[in-house]
Amino acid sequence: MPIIELNRLTKTYGGARGIHDLTFQVEEGEIFGFIGPNGAGKSTTIRTMLGLIYPTSGSAKIFGKDCVQHGPDIKRSIGYLPSEVFYYDNMRVKDLLQYSASFYKKDCRKRMVELAELLELDLNKKIDDLSLGNKKKVGIVQGLLHEPKLIILDEPTSGLDPLMQQRFFGLLEEENRKGATILFSSHILSEVQRLCDRVAIIKEGRLIALEKMSDLKGSTYKKFKLQVKDDLPEAVFAIEGVTEWAMKNGEASFLFKGDINVVMRIIAELDLLNLWVEEPDLEEIFMHYYAKEA
Amino acid sequence: MNMYLYELRAYRNVTIIWIASIVGFVLLMMSMYPTFASDAEAFMELFASMPDSVVQAMGIGIDSIASLLGYYSYIFLYVLLCGAIQAMHLGGSILSKETREKTADFLLAKPVTRVAIMTSKLLAALTLLLATNAIYFAAASLIAAMVAQEPYDYGAFALISFSLLLLQLIFLAMGIAAALLLPRMKTVLPVTLGTVFAFFVLTFIGSSTGDGLLRYATPFHYYDRAYMIQHGGYETGFVTASIVIIVACTLFGYRRYQKRDVHAV
Repeated sequence: MPIIELNRLTKTYGGARGIHDLTFQVEEGEIFGFIGPNGAGKSTTIRTMLGLIYPTSGSAKIFGKDCVQHGPDIKRSIGYLPSEVFYYDNMRVKDLLQYSASFYKKDCRKRMVELAELLELDLNKKIDDLSLGNKKKVGIVQGLLHEPKLIILDEPTSGLDPLMQQRFFGLLEEENRKGATILFSSHILSEVQRLCDRVAIIKEGRLIALEKMSDLKGSTYKKFKLQVKDDLPEAVFAIEGVTEWAMKNGEASFLFKGDINVVMRIIAELDLLNLWVEEPDLEEIFMHYYAKEA
Repeated sequence: MNMYLYELRAYRNVTIIWIASIVGFVLLMMSMYPTFASDAEAFMELFASMPDSVVQAMGIGIDSIASLLGYYSYIFLYVLLCGAIQAMHLGGSILSKETREKTADFLLAKPVTRVAIMTSKLLAALTLLLATNAIYFAAASLIAAMVAQEPYDYGAFALISFSLLLLQLIFLAMGIAAALLLPRMKTVLPVTLGTVFAFFVLTFIGSSTGDGLLRYATPFHYYDRAYMIQHGGYETGFVTASIVIIVACTLFGYRRYQKRDVHAV
């Protein structure tokens, strides 16, 4: 049985925002990436699944139950980390977490201390006094406190330093091993690459791709930028897989897809001033990887 | 239950401040009563020299102002004003808190129905208002007993004091309706003050023109204190009007709270 089942889910706000005809499924035990640029509709989808907003048409099912009709029932087994965490000020971290725990019929005290220790979160501080990253940690603990079967994360890493991010990812992997399904929304592809089994890519409210991570990786583009003394003729890189060639002010740039060794051999022959090899950002992936669909 | 207790705790301090201010105001005004009563003649002459409409607009009953109940009735109008602000502000802020403080993603992602959330909030607000009234009534009775020059009708005194709660319920319901009519409300105070003072001004106009139907638009005048002193009860028509307003606003609140989309920041 799929854990999440979206069926032609649509939410319109009159304007351009919203989501249209989203259909995909997340299977049990998966870590599922949900990728798209800002404003693509990731949060709208998640908030619809959680019953914060109501769908215009279509349906969303979690654990096989409709999100609108069985909201409270479903939410008992969901842990949710919102993209922007704001918590009632004037409360200590511990009080907020206890308040959060009081909604679930479970004793979460031990787990709370464990998680706080792992993330180096001071339970006795006032939430007001916390930095963005520390507030995020409160959100993480709050979301994982009751050992949910489905963990929904909406851009969870913003504000976390790399070390914490690693620990957080480790934590997620552990939860996943214990059987939790994870929906991980992000606008950074590389962030989900490590964790996710499958990704859905959404743009302007529409699902444009649903891929296994392994497939996507095989076809990822690399963005090359070379600084050279003299102009490079395009012919130098006349190999398969090079696109978007541009030569400007002594800087050549292109996207490459294929065997990285081939291109490196060519580059080794050149007299370079500088070299950058980067992951293309999402927009570039949309433009090239999905050009065939346009 | 956890939400109810949480809301109670969240609004406890502000409620204590309101109680202290209202009781303080009554204490201050009532402590002047003995002086006022002993110089009643002079005051009566002063009021008599003022135009009738002004005296009526200020809610002064010339015949009764020298008596404890008459004097209390007069200052009670300002108790009502404070009480109305307290109640509407409470109703408005308790229900709009999630959207104002952007904590909707916290509360609404919990395994509770929206009806349960709203009911907990309403019960908490109701409890706070009941506590306000209980403490107010005890304090006012004590103050009245201290400053009374001669025996007074305690029943009428109780009726008058109790009408604070009735009026507060109306404004609590209006606060709830306002919070849901204006979902993007960032601060509750301007809306509250605007509404309460608008009704308060209407009261002045209403009482100086003495228009029968206009009274239905002035909640401050629903519970006429001169009527309570004379008849020992409330006017059925206005009690009904109160109930209609409270029920209508609350039902509207529930419907809206359940149906609405809670938008992200």
